[in-house]
Amino acid sequence: MNKGARLLTAAWCMAAGAMAQQADTLRVADDNADFTFTESQLDEDNDAAQTVSAIVASKTDPYLAEVGYLFSPMRFRVRGYDNMYNQVYMNGLMLNDLETGRFSYGLIGGMNDATRNQEGVSGFEFNNFGMTGVGGGTSINTRASQFAQGNKITLSGCNRNYLMRGMFTHATGLMENGWAFAGTVGYRWANEGVIDGTFYNSFSYFLSAEKRFNDAHSLSLVTFGSPTERGQQAASTEEAYWLANSHYYNPNWGFQNGEKRNARVVKSFEPTAILTWDWDIDRQKKLTTAAGFKYSNYGTTALGWNGDAYDPRPDYYKNMPSSIFDVYNPDINNPGYLEDNPFLLEQWRDMYDYWTSSEANRQINWDRMYFVNRQNEANGGETLYYQERRHNDQMVFALNSVFNHTLSPRQRYTVGLQLNTTKGMHYKTMEDLLGGTRYTDIDKFAANDYGKGSIEAQNDLNNPNRQIAEGDKFGYDYNTYVNKARLWGQYQYTAPRFAVLLGANAEGTTIERDGLMRNGRAPENSYGRSGKARFLGGGGKFTLAYTPVANHRLTLSGSANAQAPLARNSFVAPRMQNNFVDNLKLEKIYAAELSYTFRFGNFSGKLSGYYTQFEDGVEQTAFYNDQMERFTYLTMNNVRRRHYGLEAAFIYQVNGNLSFNLIGTISEAQYGNNPYAQINYEGMNASTTRELNTWKNPVTGDAMPLRVIADGMRVSGTPLTAVSLGANYNINGWFFEAHLNYYDRVYVGFSQYRRLSNITGNYVQSSIDEAGRPVFDVTEAQLHATGGILFDQQGRQLAAYSADQEKFDGGFMLDLSIGRYIRLPKGRTMSINLSVNNVTNNRNMRTGGYEQNRDDFYNTGVARAFRFSRNSKYYYANAINAFLNVNFRF
Amino acid sequence: MKKTKLHILLCAACMTLGLSACMDDHDEPDTDGYLITSPIALGDTNYSIARLKADNASLFSQTNAFQQVEEDLILEGVVVANDEGGNLYQTLLVRDIDEQAGTDEAIVLAVKNTCLYPYFMLGQRIKVNLRGLYIGCYSKLPKIGQPYYTSSGNLRLGPILLQLCRTNVELIGEPDRDCPEMQPVELTASQLADWEADFSKHVPQLVTIEGSLDEADSTAIFAPEELQDAGYGVDRTLTLAGSREKVTLRTSTQNDVAFTVMPTGVCRFTGLLSYYDQWQIQLRSTADIHIPESGEPAAPATH
Repeated sequence: MNKGARLLTAAWCMAAGAMAQQADTLRVADDNADFTFTESQLDEDNDAAQTVSAIVASKTDPYLAEVGYLFSPMRFRVRGYDNMYNQVYMNGLMLNDLETGRFSYGLIGGMNDATRNQEGVSGFEFNNFGMTGVGGGTSINTRASQFAQGNKITLSGCNRNYLMRGMFTHATGLMENGWAFAGTVGYRWANEGVIDGTFYNSFSYFLSAEKRFNDAHSLSLVTFGSPTERGQQAASTEEAYWLANSHYYNPNWGFQNGEKRNARVVKSFEPTAILTWDWDIDRQKKLTTAAGFKYSNYGTTALGWNGDAYDPRPDYYKNMPSSIFDVYNPDINNPGYLEDNPFLLEQWRDMYDYWTSSEANRQINWDRMYFVNRQNEANGGETLYYQERRHNDQMVFALNSVFNHTLSPRQRYTVGLQLNTTKGMHYKTMEDLLGGTRYTDIDKFAANDYGKGSIEAQNDLNNPNRQIAEGDKFGYDYNTYVNKARLWGQYQYTAPRFAVLLGANAEGTTIERDGLMRNGRAPENSYGRSGKARFLGGGGKFTLAYTPVANHRLTLSGSANAQAPLARNSFVAPRMQNNFVDNLKLEKIYAAELSYTFRFGNFSGKLSGYYTQFEDGVEQTAFYNDQMERFTYLTMNNVRRRHYGLEAAFIYQVNGNLSFNLIGTISEAQYGNNPYAQINYEGMNASTTRELNTWKNPVTGDAMPLRVIADGMRVSGTPLTAVSLGANYNINGWFFEAHLNYYDRVYVGFSQYRRLSNITGNYVQSSIDEAGRPVFDVTEAQLHATGGILFDQQGRQLAAYSADQEKFDGGFMLDLSIGRYIRLPKGRTMSINLSVNNVTNNRNMRTGGYEQNRDDFYNTGVARAFRFSRNSKYYYANAINAFLNVNFRF
Repeated sequence: MKKTKLHILLCAACMTLGLSACMDDHDEPDTDGYLITSPIALGDTNYSIARLKADNASLFSQTNAFQQVEEDLILEGVVVANDEGGNLYQTLLVRDIDEQAGTDEAIVLAVKNTCLYPYFMLGQRIKVNLRGLYIGCYSKLPKIGQPYYTSSGNLRLGPILLQLCRTNVELIGEPDRDCPEMQPVELTASQLADWEADFSKHVPQLVTIEGSLDEADSTAIFAPEELQDAGYGVDRTLTLAGSREKVTLRTSTQNDVAFTVMPTGVCRFTGLLSYYDQWQIQLRSTADIHIPESGEPAAPATH
């Protein structure tokens, strides 16, 4: 014990002293999977609960077993799928959120020691826990009897979102009286994370009790939660990064009273309880039934401003030096032109000096906002700047029941029932009036358009001109109700050379909105129930496996599925009104996969090719539209996407101590059509919105369905090419790992708004060339740069070009890990692990970003000085970072 | 033994809960004395708006002309119009009455920022050091600013960067809404005719005009969006009382004045007088509209 304590203390001192380093035992991924990349990057504007990449971690698939963790610094998503196609279960209960479709890893944050007992499967594999999508699934077993008896202390230090983590786990094991108890408490902390202005403050608890009544029946109850408060990072433009001299510049914070304050603070707490009844009917049959309840509180703050108050974001485009003149235009940015217009360079330099002379100048100016509010109130006005909290709370009841039956050594089947009813509660509250005391609940955009006294300006006609104090609800308040019932089953037959898997499912879904405010822009369809949208979906899958000789296996899989759209995408402007998106349909997903698994002596691996097509998808983005200066919803309907590619994993086991592996994928994930679009601005009434959704034929003047020119655009935020060369070596309790990873083909998130058919250029054929081809007053290069739609002189659409999507530069990252496993007297053990990611400190790897929703021209057709098309906002992968993890079991 | 360990677990939970007190908690800042202008004195006033216009008479009589000031010319005046009502954009009207010299002249200080009024309240006396700034006319409006290219691609004298207020502008004392400069000039038709010969000396100016709006019909508002021009404003015609003289009353869309129903009959309107193709007045806010009770003589607008 003494030796263990000394080692533990020494190791902890190292961790705390370095304030930076990383890790764990043999499975580093289990210990830091919840924050291998910046959580705060993940939900900047969409209010979605935090998620990490679709990590399947299948133990049987050498590719899936590694890629999730290995490529996580670049936010890799398997096959480019959204996380909604990957399901996570705990003790038999599906935990994916019905509104967003995703599992929130924040739910189990800081509980690594309690949730490490996981089973992952791909989308085509047989499993005994539940229905999975094309992205596969993960089952986490947290029954108390499954915890190793004893105590475990884990202490970690790192330089990522948080700096320190401590966890203590105690488990009784299964006691003679049939009871088993286990519990974990943890705390993650950073007064300031590796990104300036961020912080992390998270407590977590996990309690599990299990009673095994007899050999057949056991009952397990788990409850867990992780109250968390954390400051977020935001993306910014390359110009801002250059001015701040760092790719980790964070515009979300500023000084208040000389102390750092973050404007975007997430507070979340999602207490969950799961009661699971395991009934081993006999040796071949088992019934697992789980019932769960979750009440989640998730809120994130944001700055709001009223009246004519100046945009307080420090990287607002008018604050940037490049807003003075078009620095990307060689006709302007040249010595001759600037000599003729010396004021341009003068002003550019003034702004440059302002940005670079003081850190405070490039951050939020909180003191100024307080000053403006106080001045305005002293002058008889109201609060102009405020901080609001946008809440996305949820109450969930769910029931899953799965029956597994092994008919014979060759045959088995599973059938299951899933029921889930979810109430989403969406509203915002006044977090901080920033020194002010008065605020009236009206919509500033509508007040500008229709007048302060108009009906349209009211956010709640049932309580017009309501005075808002801190903590009050304002702006919007609505609930969504989603009910889902699913029946599913799968059957597997395994012969020495053949295996076949068949699966099928049927599901019914209802979606409804209940408005709790009567919105002035939609007085007739905002308050009360929307009525239910009903969807009946389902599908099937198969896998055929052929093993011609031992250690060689060919597998062909396919699936077709139809599933309801997500509730969060189903309403045209959910904060404001009850209307559903036009022509909502089931999304169809067709997937096929061919794979070859082999072993030649010490050399083993797997090669796969896959093709997945998504049809009739619905995607909604909600954003502050700089062009129109309005909060905007843009919904794409009838979306087609194709995901296809090759995956490979090769492992060469030199001996029991040393192995090498090569893992990688080259893939494509592209939009395959120009989907219908529906746009809605908060602050505009129905008739104005109708005009916005009009696209007229430039020749005939006929109205045409509004579209987003998206054909050929890539899915963003994940490398479509990723390769890793790794080496693993272990000897006498020491473990060494090295991975050289290459990433490429990460694309920026394309602006759907800029590619709307009534925003992008419409060109009519002007003449015909000598070869009889139509001629247009636009060049091919311009069409690629800005997009455009070509019409002949009769008004027939000839072609549609989407503005080219930026591809980020590829690059290498080197990750190293060293670990030591130490056996101590009296059965105690200790493990120490240090992993260092991005050893070469590559600070130029963009993990994602998005285009700004604004074009480069004034309404007059004159080019703006500031080129929005050249000022996308980016995220960068972490610089060199380390994680030191120490476990002590006793 | 197991009980003890459960107690340890509970203690650890309590400790971590204690540690995890709210971190997003901040003291409110003291904003007394907060400035975006120069925190130090710019120096003694050595110039005036009247001298500036007199010394550069040819410049100010042109249309869309400007030049940079290269000396420490420090003038002062009182902010008598700002963007408080939302009808003026990036505009501070600075007026200086020098009784000794017998001058009463004003100029626009244009600043590139919305919501200037919390920093430059009405009645606030300011000093401006013109060094590095530009003087000239936007159209025919005398202005202190910096050049820029408009959304139509034209080179014009526009607003100064807000951060230049830190180096070139100083607040003098507290705002005084009762100071002489806050009293608008009572403008008559005959004065207008006199001023036209030397309009650059007399504009901009804070004036009150008595007259009636030609388009007023008890329902029409000042600036409906459907009538807005390329400058996001709507022009109405104000006929001066007891005369055929007409002045354009221009109102930006999307502010309280814009949505106000135009009063019928003779009223008094206070605002910023300028001259483009003809005389023009822009109200500062709805408080600049004074509708007399029946039988009551129209009273001057007050802020």
